[in-house]
Amino acid sequence: MKKSLCLSLLACASLFANAETNATQVELQKQKAAIEKLQMQLDMLAQESQKSRNTSASFSQNAYLPDIALILNMSAVARDVNNTAYENMAIPGFIDAGDVELPFNKNRGFNLNYAEVAMRSSVDPYFDAFAIFHLHPAAFEIEEAYVQTTSLPYALRVKAGKFKSDFGRINAKHQHAWYFDDQPIIYKALFGPDSISDAGVQLQWVAPTDTYIMAGVEAMQGSNDRSFGNVERNNLYVGYVKSSVDVGDDLSILGGVSLAHGKNTTTNATDVYGVDLTMREQLGAYSSLMWQSEYLQRNMVVDGSIKTQTNKQAGLYSELVYQYNNNYSGGVRYDVITKNDVDLSDYANQGINTDNLDKYTAMLEYKPFPMSRLRLSYSYDRTKVIASERKDINTVMLSLNIAAGAHGAHDY
Amino acid sequence: MKKIALLTVLLTTLAFARVNVDATYSTLGAVAKKIGGDNVKVTVLGSSKYDPHFIVPKPSLLSKLRRADLLIINGGGLELGWLPPLLRNANNAKIRNGAKGFLDMSHFVPMIDVPTSVSRAFGDVHAQGNPHYTTDPHVVLIMAKAIGQKLAQIDPENEAAYEKNLANFTKEWQAYLTKYDADMQMCQTKKVVQYHELFNYFLKRYNIQAVGNIEPLPGIAPSSKHTIALIQTMRENGVKTILQDVYHERKTAKFIASKTGARVAVIPHDLGADGSKTLQEFYNKIANRICK
Repeated sequence: MKKSLCLSLLACASLFANAETNATQVELQKQKAAIEKLQMQLDMLAQESQKSRNTSASFSQNAYLPDIALILNMSAVARDVNNTAYENMAIPGFIDAGDVELPFNKNRGFNLNYAEVAMRSSVDPYFDAFAIFHLHPAAFEIEEAYVQTTSLPYALRVKAGKFKSDFGRINAKHQHAWYFDDQPIIYKALFGPDSISDAGVQLQWVAPTDTYIMAGVEAMQGSNDRSFGNVERNNLYVGYVKSSVDVGDDLSILGGVSLAHGKNTTTNATDVYGVDLTMREQLGAYSSLMWQSEYLQRNMVVDGSIKTQTNKQAGLYSELVYQYNNNYSGGVRYDVITKNDVDLSDYANQGINTDNLDKYTAMLEYKPFPMSRLRLSYSYDRTKVIASERKDINTVMLSLNIAAGAHGAHDY
Repeated sequence: MKKIALLTVLLTTLAFARVNVDATYSTLGAVAKKIGGDNVKVTVLGSSKYDPHFIVPKPSLLSKLRRADLLIINGGGLELGWLPPLLRNANNAKIRNGAKGFLDMSHFVPMIDVPTSVSRAFGDVHAQGNPHYTTDPHVVLIMAKAIGQKLAQIDPENEAAYEKNLANFTKEWQAYLTKYDADMQMCQTKKVVQYHELFNYFLKRYNIQAVGNIEPLPGIAPSSKHTIALIQTMRENGVKTILQDVYHERKTAKFIASKTGARVAVIPHDLGADGSKTLQEFYNKIANRICK
C-alpha cells in the first residue's frame, strides 16, 4: 500500500517537473490531499483494531439504574373566597370546618402543588419495585412504595408495601393522572386527598376467559381516619371484581364493583360500596370520547344516644371527556351527594340548608407534547359551608403538569 | 371405559394444544401465522388503523395477554407508551420481559437512525433507533427466522413443522423479493417527504432520498413555519411525492401538495392499515403507491 502511494507521489512529482501549468499544480494538490486523507483513515483503522471496548467502566452499574421520572404540578388560581375561608370550609355531614386537608391548589394566586419522583425497576426475575416520593413544598411523603411479583403461576400477582388500593376506578390513579384537577367530591368526602392508600398486601387474579375479568383482595392497615380509624390494629379489607367488553373495534366498556370493609372504632364497622362504569369510543387515531362514572356509598356504624346507628351516605361523579386530537381535549364533570342520612341538626339549627350538594366542572386541556399539559378549568361548587353559611364557590384555574424522564405509559 | 375416557381427554387437550401467540402489530402477526401454521393461534393486539405509538390500552387486551404462550413485540420503544402496564397487569409469567415467551424483534433487526445523543428536546426520539422496520420487505425474512427459532423453543414437539414452514416461506419470500427488487429498479420516484419517519427502512433499501418530514420533530404536530420551510426545500429539490400515513391528519399534506404540485401518496405502515389482507398485498401497496 505504502509502496503504491510513494509511486504515485513520484509519478506526480515527475509530472510537475515536466509541465508547469496551473491545472497540473491544482491536480497535484488534490492528489496530495487525497493521499493524506487515506493515510489518516489507515491510521485510524489501525488504532481502532487495537482498542478494546469499555476499558474504564469495569464496575459501572449505570445500566441497572431504575427508570426515573420527575413530575411537577403547579397552578394559578382565582377563587371568590379568600384563603382562610377556603381552609375552614365544611361539607355538611362529611367534613367539619377546619378538618379539611387541601394539598392541591389551595391558595388564590400561585401554587406549587408538588414535585414527585417516580421510580420503577426490576429487582430480579421475581419482583418489580416501584416508589413514588411525593414532595410538597414543606413535606416529604412516600406516596407509594411497593414490590410486585412477576412470575407467579395461574395469573396471580401479589403486591406488598404502601400502595393505592385498586378500589373503584379513580382511587389508584395519582392526582396528575386525573382528567380534572380536583378530586371527585365523594372521594374527598369519604377518604380525603390520598383516597384509600395504605400499607398492606394485595392479591389479584386475571381469569383465563375471552372477556376480561379481574378479581382482587387487599388487606390494609386502615389508617385513613375519615372512614376507618385508629383501632390499634389493621382493620381494612378491600375486594373488587372488574370486567371489560369491547363492542366492535372502537367501543370499550369497563365496569367494576368494589367493597371496602373496615372499622372506625374497635367495635363499629364501616362499609364502603363502589360501582364504576367507563365507556370509551375511539373516534380516530388521536380522538376519543370517554364517559366515566362512579357511585360510592358508605354505611358507617356510629354510637348513638341509646344504641349504635348506621349513617348512610352516598354520592357520585360522572365525567365526559372529549379528546379532539393529540393536543386538545375538553370535558365536563358533575358531582353530587345523593344520600346524607346523618345527624345534620347543627346545620338545621343555624338555618343552613344542606340539600342539593353538588358541583359542576368544565375543563379545556392543551398538550404540546405527551409529557406536558396545560389545563384551564372552571368549577362551580355548591357543596360547601363556610362561616356558618352555605357558600357557593367559583374557581378558575390554570394548571401545568410535566413529566420528565422515564415515559409513563398512557392510562386507559 | 376409564381408558377410553382418559384417551379422549388426552386427545382433546392435544387437539386444542395450540400455541397462543400475541403480536403487538399486524405484520408481525402475519409472519407468525406463516411460520406457526395450524399449530398456533395468532392474536394481534394493536389495530393498524391507528398510530402504533398510541394504541389504546383497552382492558380487553389484558385477557388476550393473560392466555398468551408467546408475545412478539416490535421493540425499539414503539410499545413503550401502551404495553408495559398491560403486561404488568396481565399477570402472565410466561411472557414477562426476559421470559422464554417474550420475543423482542428489534433485537434481530439491524436498526438504522440510531441517535448519537437522545433528549426529548428533539421530540419523541427512540434511543434504540428508528423502530419502523416492518416497511422493508427484506426484514420479513429476519422476522420469520427469529419467530421460527422461538416457536421451536417454546413448542419443541412441533419443531419439524416450524422448520418446514420456515423453509417453505423463506423460499416463497425470496422469490417474491427478487421480483419486488427488480420492479423497484424501475421506480421513478427518487425523492420524497414523509409525515413521520415511518418509511426510512424502505426508502433506504431502494435508494429513495427522504428530503424532510411534515412534522417538525418526531411526535410534534406540524407548524406553519416548518411547513413553509418544507415547501421551500421541496421546490429546491424537486420533490414530487409526499408520503402520508393512514392515521395522521391529511390537511397539511394536501396544503403542501397544492403549493408544490406534489402528489400525496397514502402509504400503509402496517399490514391491513388500508385494507391489505396478505403480506404481499401490503408490500405491493407500498411500492405501487410510492412509485406510481
